[in-house]
Amino acid sequence: MDKEAIIDKLTNIFRDVFQDPEILLNNEMTANDVGSWDSLSHMLMIEQVETAFSFKFKLKEINKLKNVGVLIELIESKVV
Amino acid sequence: MPTRLLTFKNNIYARFLLKLISLFLLVFILDFIIGGLLNRFYFTQESGNLFRTTYSFEHTSEDLLVFGSSTANHDYPSEIFQKRLKLSTYNVGRDGTSIFYDYALLQSILKRYSPKIIILNFDLDEFKKTSESYDRISSLLPYYRRHPEIRPIVELKSPYEKIKLFSKIYPYNSLFFSILAGNAEFNKKRRQDYQGYVPLTKIWGESLHSTKYKYQELDSNKIKIYKAFIHDCIAARVKLYVVCAPFFVNFENRSNSVMVGENIANEYRVKYFDFSGDPSILNKPSLFADMSHLNRKGAEIYSNKIIDKIINEESQEVSSQKR
Amino acid sequence: MIFTSFNFLIFFPIVIIIFFLFPQKYRWHFLLFASYFFYINLKPVYALLLAGVTLITYIFTRLIDNPKFANHKKSLLVVNIILALLPLFFFKYYNFVNQSVFTFLDYMGIRWQLPQINFILPIGISFYTFMALGYSIDVYNEEIHAEKSFGIVALFLSFFPLVLSGPIERAPNMFPQFKGRLLFNYYKIIKGLQWILWGYFMKLVVADRIAIYVHAIFTNISNHNGKSLFVGTLLYPIQVYADLGGYSLIAIGCAKVMGIEVMQNFNRPFFATSMSEFWRRWHISLISWLTDYIYTPLAFNLRRYKIWGIVIALLLTFFLSGLWHGATITFMVWGTIQGIFLSIEALTNKRKKNFVKKYKLHQRGWYLFICSLFTYFLFAFSEIFGGATESVSQGFLVIKKIFTNFSGPIWYENPSMILISLSAIFILFFVELKTEYFPGKFSFFNNENWVVRFLSYGFLITIILLIGVFDGGQFIYFQF
Repeated sequence: MDKEAIIDKLTNIFRDVFQDPEILLNNEMTANDVGSWDSLSHMLMIEQVETAFSFKFKLKEINKLKNVGVLIELIESKVV
Repeated sequence: MPTRLLTFKNNIYARFLLKLISLFLLVFILDFIIGGLLNRFYFTQESGNLFRTTYSFEHTSEDLLVFGSSTANHDYPSEIFQKRLKLSTYNVGRDGTSIFYDYALLQSILKRYSPKIIILNFDLDEFKKTSESYDRISSLLPYYRRHPEIRPIVELKSPYEKIKLFSKIYPYNSLFFSILAGNAEFNKKRRQDYQGYVPLTKIWGESLHSTKYKYQELDSNKIKIYKAFIHDCIAARVKLYVVCAPFFVNFENRSNSVMVGENIANEYRVKYFDFSGDPSILNKPSLFADMSHLNRKGAEIYSNKIIDKIINEESQEVSSQKR
Repeated sequence: MIFTSFNFLIFFPIVIIIFFLFPQKYRWHFLLFASYFFYINLKPVYALLLAGVTLITYIFTRLIDNPKFANHKKSLLVVNIILALLPLFFFKYYNFVNQSVFTFLDYMGIRWQLPQINFILPIGISFYTFMALGYSIDVYNEEIHAEKSFGIVALFLSFFPLVLSGPIERAPNMFPQFKGRLLFNYYKIIKGLQWILWGYFMKLVVADRIAIYVHAIFTNISNHNGKSLFVGTLLYPIQVYADLGGYSLIAIGCAKVMGIEVMQNFNRPFFATSMSEFWRRWHISLISWLTDYIYTPLAFNLRRYKIWGIVIALLLTFFLSGLWHGATITFMVWGTIQGIFLSIEALTNKRKKNFVKKYKLHQRGWYLFICSLFTYFLFAFSEIFGGATESVSQGFLVIKKIFTNFSGPIWYENPSMILISLSAIFILFFVELKTEYFPGKFSFFNNENWVVRFLSYGFLITIILLIGVFDGGQFIYFQF
């Protein structure tokens, strides 16, 4: 799966979980930039990402997700 | 280069120090002005609790004084003592005070004159060790400056009291609105006391119950001060009576404060009357305003009983002297 | 010594002066000495306990981080956590467990009670234990390498502004600062002193004043009518906020003066428009600790249950928060209530969002106001179990009386107290309101004009002298 497709799929997940049909992802985006992205919805998003891309996160990896860019890279490494 | 760095460094430290000193100066000035105003208006009050305290410290000349806490203030109507003993009477009791306050007040009064009789009301937990008793020494703070004789007592409050008293506002902490009210015109006309005595009008509805008095830790400071109180009265040739007022509980044993207080009084050959469990008063709940205070009616009856006892004791002494 | 004691007013300036006189390289050594001096002054025995927990943490983090023991990392962490928790558990929960077990055995007909030991909880143990655990877990998660210098670890756990009652800080934030350059920074000193001043105002003028009234009400529930109990209930959150918030500000300010940045602990919590938002603004250091070390692992392991996994994680996390606050059923009830509030909000989130968006309510001032009021009420009522009363039955009695016995006058001891309390609350509310909704405007401490700044400082100090409570104001969080 190439990066474009990943970003596409991720955008849809974000729009659904964070209830904002107009979200556009960028590498520097963090929870602070999105209103309904808090520790509650974070885990919901994580679970959906796992289902959508068919892999499982490790807890350690969750803690290291500094921004969306890191998340995208992580998905890339898992999907390859 | 090094000299430049040095002056720059001196600059920040110096700047900071300068600002700190100016702030201290500002606070000093504010404290001086506001404290001065508070001091002035504290002593221009003409009614209320604080006014009565000032009167007690600085203006009494009555022959019979009643000392103590709220029990004293509400259980001993001055006019009754005045009428029956033919002695001018003032009630210098004050809510929320302890033997510390009583002793300080005694010093200021004895400095001015020697009353003929002093009645010291003794609470059932008079010697109980509490931190509140020390906190409440704060009622003496406004008098610290002009009454050197009370300073040792005030300094019991905490080891840093002397330093805190550098501030002129500190003695009037929490009194801002009270001072305002005490100077208000309509309050000047209100009179809620009669020669210091403040009557209570409520009637206690509950019934009497029995219980064991729980022994509490006693404060050695309080015991010491109590002894000093008795000693100073004797030295000034004041006739002292220590009295326990009725308490609306049927205690199966005596309070340890009372036992200690009575023993000490006996040592000094001072009369100690214990009316705390007097059945003729305790069987009439309508005489009580609450568990520890009598209402107007109860205070009348109780005071008459004390006076009966005083007159009895006096006549016995006279007759024993005659023999 | 506590911050509001006279001793501290002497201790702190002296420590600061010596701190800046020390050569920069050894400043943290001096801080370690000063911190232990500070803590020993409370009770020397407690300092031994603190040192003990420090030792355990140091040894185990070094082991966990050592590649030789890579296969045993998890076991090492588990042992570390158990050992570090032992003192806290023993002092805080011994009597409770003992009593519960005894009640159970009694019910079964077997009597075998261990002696009831009356310990005074070593001050700060709940705080430094959590800091220690956080550090151990961080090392395990490879967030930070185990610190080789025992002194730095010791300083982290004993750092005097934080040791008694937080904020609960993290090793990755504190270690670099302690080891780094601790410089005399003029602006940081001014900022720190401003925070200290405001903290003293909150604690001495607002918290301790309200406490007198609230204490009189809640220690005499049977004699007060529902109306007075209601007023007491509404005032209690303000008291707790001004108390812990003020104390935290003094702590953060003291650290700032030394050039050390400590995390914010409160963010004007009463402007929150939902309980979720409230818990992002209240006791932030504790909640973020619980979020990072309890909630996240829990929610992660339960994520296959989606929203229900979140709910369970929330309930457990806040139950633990209640437990941290106190070894009583009341606090467990309190914690569970918070968990329930947040779960309800999580479950109804989507529907609420759509509703609000549809009617553009989030732009209406009156809607936000009602939301914050409702949130405040929720919190105030939950606090009936969170420290206002001593037992669950008492808590229910209060609620019952509020709803059935609402007649009669509101009790007060004297009008002067009311006026003072109201003035204090008004000043606090005014400042917070303007900071929340008009940041940058009507600045007092940060005004460009030095006259305004100086007069503000002077005014505040005068207010503290005039209406601050100087006798025996007890800090709620000291039993922690």
